[in-house]
Parts: sequence; C-alpha cells; structure tokens
Amino acid sequence: MKLHLQNITKEFGPVVALDDVSFSAEAPEFICLLGPSGCGKTTLLRLIAGLSMPDRGQLRLDGEDLTRIPARDRGFGIVFQAYSLFPNMTVAQNIGYGLKIRGRPTAEIKERVGQLLDLIRLPHLADRYPYQLSGGQQQRVALARAVAVDPKLLLLDEPLSALDAKVRTELRAEIRELQQRLGILTIMVTHDQEEALLLADRVVCMQHGKIAQVGTPGELYATPVNRFVADFMGVSNLMEQSTIRQWASHLLNGHTPPADYIACIRPEDITLRPGATGARVRQVHFLGNLSRIELDWPGGKLVAEEAGRTSLVPGAEVGIDIAPHRCAWVAPQ
Amino acid sequence: MSATAAPAWRELDIDKLFLGFCLFVPLTALTIFFAYPLLTVVTRSLTEADGGIGIGNYIRILNAPSFWRATVNSLVMSLSTTAAVLMCGLVVAYAVHRCKVPGRALLLGAVSLPLLAPSLVQGLGLIFLLGRNGIVTKTTGLDINIYGFWGLLIANGLYALPQAVLIIGAALRAADARIYEAAEILGTSGFRKFVDITLPNIKFGLLSAGFIVFTVTITDFGNAATIGGDYAILATEIYNQVVGQMNFNLGAVVGILLLLPTILSFYLERVASQRQFGSVSDSAVPLVPTFTPKRDVPMTLAAWLVALLPVVTVAIVIYGSFVWLWPYRFDLTLKHYAVKVAGGYDPLWTTVQISIVAGVIGSLMLFALGFSLQRLPRHIVKPIYFLCLLPAAVPGLVLGLAYIFAFNVPGLPVYALYGTATLLAICNVTHYWTQGFLTTMTGLRQVPPTLEESAACLGASLPRLVRDVIVPSMAPTLVSVFFFMFMRSMVTLSAVIFLITASVSVASVSIMRLDEAGFTSQAAAYATCTMGIVVVASVLMRACLWALKRKQ
Repeated sequence: MKLHLQNITKEFGPVVALDDVSFSAEAPEFICLLGPSGCGKTTLLRLIAGLSMPDRGQLRLDGEDLTRIPARDRGFGIVFQAYSLFPNMTVAQNIGYGLKIRGRPTAEIKERVGQLLDLIRLPHLADRYPYQLSGGQQQRVALARAVAVDPKLLLLDEPLSALDAKVRTELRAEIRELQQRLGILTIMVTHDQEEALLLADRVVCMQHGKIAQVGTPGELYATPVNRFVADFMGVSNLMEQSTIRQWASHLLNGHTPPADYIACIRPEDITLRPGATGARVRQVHFLGNLSRIELDWPGGKLVAEEAGRTSLVPGAEVGIDIAPHRCAWVAPQ
Repeated sequence: MSATAAPAWRELDIDKLFLGFCLFVPLTALTIFFAYPLLTVVTRSLTEADGGIGIGNYIRILNAPSFWRATVNSLVMSLSTTAAVLMCGLVVAYAVHRCKVPGRALLLGAVSLPLLAPSLVQGLGLIFLLGRNGIVTKTTGLDINIYGFWGLLIANGLYALPQAVLIIGAALRAADARIYEAAEILGTSGFRKFVDITLPNIKFGLLSAGFIVFTVTITDFGNAATIGGDYAILATEIYNQVVGQMNFNLGAVVGILLLLPTILSFYLERVASQRQFGSVSDSAVPLVPTFTPKRDVPMTLAAWLVALLPVVTVAIVIYGSFVWLWPYRFDLTLKHYAVKVAGGYDPLWTTVQISIVAGVIGSLMLFALGFSLQRLPRHIVKPIYFLCLLPAAVPGLVLGLAYIFAFNVPGLPVYALYGTATLLAICNVTHYWTQGFLTTMTGLRQVPPTLEESAACLGASLPRLVRDVIVPSMAPTLVSVFFFMFMRSMVTLSAVIFLITASVSVASVSIMRLDEAGFTSQAAAYATCTMGIVVVASVLMRACLWALKRKQ
C-alpha cells in the first residue's frame, strides 16, 4: 500500500492552507504530521481522508487516483481527538457499524467485534454506551471502530490530545502496538513533538502550509534543515555564524556552510566542566530526570542539560565543550 | 481512471439528490406558503378600489383618525405591557435562578400556565374576576372597568410573561460564579454586585425579552377580542376592516403598517440575542446561590405574588366553567360543557388533527431544511436563514389575511387547499416556523461534525447518516419541535381566524364566538377542554424526553 501526494494545494479564500505539498508513504510506515496550529497538518489529513477536496494536485493510492473520490468510498479509518463515538450506539454497535454498512452478515460482524474488543482489552464493556466510558476507553473504541473494516489507511487526528498525561502514555503505546500488528499505513496529526518522536517512523514537519522537512525522528532532531524545525523539535541553541567564528571557531573546522546558515546545538551536546571558566551559570531548572542549565556565555545565552541533579548553582563559573560533529548547520528560515 | 470515477458519480447522485430534496421541499413550501402570500398582501394594499395600482389605500388609512387612534393605543398598550412584563419577569427569573427560593419548578410552571391556553383565557379569567359580573366587582361593589386598556395590559402581560421569564432566565443562568467570587473578595456588597455585574451581563437578555414581549403584545388578537372593549388597537382594526367592513385592501394596508414595528422589533431582538451569547465562556463555573434571608425572603414573596396572577386567572376560568350561574349561584354543574355553538366539540377535534399534522409537517420540514443548510456554502445559507427568521416578525392576523389573498383564488391550483384543515395546519407551521427553526438549528449544531465525518469514513451515505446518527442523536429536539408546533396550533387564534369555514373551524374560534355571544361560562368550559388536551400533550412531551434521556 503506497500513498503518494503530489503538488497538493488548498486555499480557504485568501489563506493558502496547503502550498504545493508532495510526499509519499508506504505500509507499514507510521507517519506523523507535525507542526504548530495553523500549519496545515489537519487540512492535509482531511484531504487524505476525502473529507475535503484539494484545489490542485493529486492523491494516489497504489497508483489509483483518489483525488475526487469522497470519503465514504475510500475505505480509510479515522480517529478524531473528540472520540466521536455514536452516542446512540453501544460500544459493540459502534465498532461493528462500518461492517454493517458494508452489509456483512451479523455473525461475521459479531465475531470481528469480539476480536477487536479483546484487542483493545475492553470485552466487558461491549454493551455500554459511550457516555459510560472514560476518555481513554472511548478513544480505544474509536480506534477499534476505525480498524474494524480493515482500512487501507489509518488516519489519526490528534487522538491523544484530549486525554490526561498518564492515559496518553498508555494509549500511545497501544496505538503503536496495534499499528505494527496490523501492518497498516498510518498517518497521525500531532502538535506534540515528543509524541512524534516516540511514534513515528518518519515525521513530516510542516510550516505555513508547506513541508519543512521529512525524515526519521533522529534525522529531524540531529540535522534539522532550518531554524523552524530546529526550534520545533525540542530545545536548541541557535547561533549566528559570526558568533561561532568569534567564540567557538573549532566548530567551523572542515565545514563551509552557506554564509547565512546558523549553528544548531542541542543542550545535551554541551558538556559542562565545573571549575573551569568560559561561562557563568545564570539559572538552574530541575525537571526531574534532567536539569536544564541557563548560561551566560560571551557569545550570548546558552542552554545546556545534565542528567539527573546537577551540583551547579547560579553564579558558578563553568567551562563548556561542544563536540564539532554535534553542531548542525541550518537555514535561517 | 474510469473505474475510480464510477463510484464518485454514484455517491454524487445519492447524496446530492438527497441533499437537494431536503433543501428543495421545505424551501418550495416556504415560498408558496409564506413568501408568496405575503407578497399578495403588499400587492393588495396597493390595489385601489377601481383595480388600478396606487397608494390611494395608504392615503385613505393614514387620513383616517381611527387608524391613528388605534396606532397610538397599540403603541401605548404594548410599551406599557413591555415595561410591566420586564419588571415582573426579572423578579421571577432572578428569584428562580439567582436566589434560594422554595418551589422553583412550581414557580416556573405557574408563570408558564398561559402558554398552555389560548390567549383568550387570560381575558376570560379577568372577566370572571373583574368584569361587569366579576366576583371582585360584585363583592366589593367597585366599578372597575376592566374592558379596555387595563384589561388588555394585564391579559397581554400574563400571556407574554412566560417568554420574558424564559429569556431573562437564560441570560441569568449564563453566569460565571468566579466573577462573583472575585467581586466578593474585593468587598462588593450584594446590591453593588447586582448593579455592577448582573445587570450589565443580562442587558442584552433584557432587551431581547423586551422586543419579544413588544411583538407578542402588539400582534395579539385574542385578548383584544375578549377584553379590549372599545380600546381599538391595530390588530382589531385589521379584523374590523376585513370581517366587519369587507375592506380587504384596507385591511392589507393596516397589516403592512403593523409589520413595520414588528419587523423592526424582531430585527433588534435578533441583534440583542446574538450579543447575549458569546459573553460566557465554556469553562464557566455555575453559580449556586446560598440562602441569604435579606434577599431571599422578599424575593420569594414578590415572585409568588407575580406567579399567583396567572394561576388565579386560569384557575378561575376552570372553576367558572363548573359554576351554575356566575356570580350568583355557585353550585357546581356540568351544564356549560354542553356547548351551544355551531359544531359543538367538532372544532376541538379538528384542532387536534390540525395540530398533529402541523407537528409532523413542521418537525420534518424544519429538520430537512436545517440538515441541508448545514451542508451548504455560507452565501447560499444566509438568505435562506434570513427567510426563516421572517415568519416570527409577521403578525398572525397579517398571515391569515395573506392566506385569503393567496389561496382564495378560484382557478389557481392552490385553491383546492382553501377552506381545508390542511391549509390551517400549514398556516400554523408557517406562523411558528421561526421558533421551530431556531430550535432545530440548535439541536443540529449539537451533533458534532466529527461524528458525521467518522460515519462518512466508515462508508455511510447521507440518508444512512441521517437515519443512524443524526436523528437518534437529536431526537429530543425533534420531539420538542413536534410538541411545540402541536401545542401552539392547539391554542392559536390570530392567523387561523380568517381561514375557518362553517365546516372547518378550530377551538379558539369557538371560545371566541361563545364569549362574543355572552356565553362566558361555556367559553370557559370550552377553554378548559382545550387546556386539558394541551396539558396532556405537555405531559406526553416530558415523558418522551425523559425516556429519550434515559436511553442515552
């Protein structure tokens, strides 16, 4: 199963929601559409689902043109942030609804629903109504409903955003497990970079209706293409080339980035040497598993991280080391 | 390519056809039964005695002192009623929603009583109390002339009060407790909180209620017919021109002139009510009043004093219907229930049938229209939405008159409907279209769009979506709209008064005829029967809503 998007453009009046977007994905990949609100990621998902039509461009699945086919003929599964279970149907009826529409025999529906209920570990809730379920349970039912019809593609629109932190972590793992077991091409929209890093085989990072970068989570983190991706994928120190040349010129050894490119250094790649000099600790934030240390450095402010607790206190002098191969050069925009 | 294009076209057919059907049928009905008749009123008002077109009718009416007297009377009476109802409505709504008073549901039920009865009942009740043979008049010997301004003021006030309480109550309910807690911490007194926070927050609700009361009052005909006496108002002026003097075209002119204040008032109401919403966020913490004797004891007394009036008026009508000879012989009897009016109880059964038909047609049409409007582009929806708001601004008498002009035309295919109960049902649906439409739209908006998109992705077509998802999730709204249409059709008088015939008549007209003929007790008996049916309907509605709520 191979999905191919080519030059997709979508405008809402004067607003260009999607500007010439192209990318491909293949089963059993898990793709995350990542970006801030308004970047076009949900618009893109809705276009793939067939819930709206692109103004220009083409959408193909295994070579078949899907662009003008409405959602109900595409046979995709979708899960929304708001659960969207049919309130008038029981859990079992919800899961079996897609099969019922397809006119499958009752016995087959019953069996399939039973399997799925086991899969989401809620067989005891088959006859409950959605309002009697917790948010996490509802979302699991929504997931089962989406995969019940063996969809060619599973689309997830911020499925975890409405859940509280603990349930979110659990369900995140369940979604990944389910997706891998079914081997189904999955596209998920999220604004949470941590979620994208954890779940995705590949991340499509979007900015102003365009794809800023496509790559594995590791690629996006280690070698972002521009300032936006670097900023969005976690914390980073972004410094002008002139600053680097003056204060950390060794980072430029063997590198000749274009003149306007800037350096991107992740906080964990800065090693702090207590007792040495070069920078001064400005503030220390304790985050539990790590400590984030803000530094005053001649070239500007820096953020570094150390595992666990740190012995550094505000005002302390430290030396800093940055490994040359840990510095990525990114476009300014 | 051709293989993939085929399903697209198939779906296009089913869904587009279904959507087109849902839009086309109600819209055509609205054009034939609302826009077209209304247009005939305009053309008839411009048709002169010799058949030419001109503004002669307007000049005649505007030069007639009787018209100006009726206009001034209408305005004075409506404005006074509006002021009085706003005060009383605020008292009751504030007591119910912001104070700790005993019997809140009872209080709301008491002020809502007039909604269950034809508007004539208030007039009848006042006549039993304060009329020439009223019990108060006879026992105290006072000669209160209730027929006229004061009678109208009280009767219309009672009739409009429930709607005012409803709207002001909604504004009061939309309160965020945290704002009041913040004020409390700043050391604000209870009275300052009311003046500085409550009043500014409900001002659009008050305005909205004011315009509704004004519209209801200036267009009401039932009370004017029973208790108006010689106090001429525009509604009676239309009736007299048409029924009394057979001056249809002059009636049309007065109708058009009555439209002006109602459309203006209705437009302002829409503006006000839109401002009211949106002022409270979703995350508001509901306000739960605690018992404050200094506030709650006087509020309880005041609210119950207001609520007692509708209870007494309705109760006295029921009691009066059983009394041998009011106010001389208070032995109980059933003799007034043997009514001496043409057709006896036939009109009552006709009314029930008309009301059921109106309920079914109304809820189906409104649902179909609302459903299709949700799926159409904005620039198409806007004019249709506007058209759907208009019926509320058209007084029932004008609508009735419009139906005569539009349908009492032998030779037109629609003439076949003239004089039938079906046309009466259609007229009622049109008359109460706007309120039903707004309720339906609210119900539809509560079905989240993602529900529909989920169903679409699972492969459901639009008709299937309606059957499996939308109708079940908004069944309470459909039930409410059905019963709303039913109950209004049971008690309405103003629109249908022009459309009844010797064989097809309705209950409220029978009540009016009995009252006109001096059979006040029989009118009361007839009104009691009508109220009985409406009460049963109201209980049924609650039972249905309760059952639906239990199921979900």
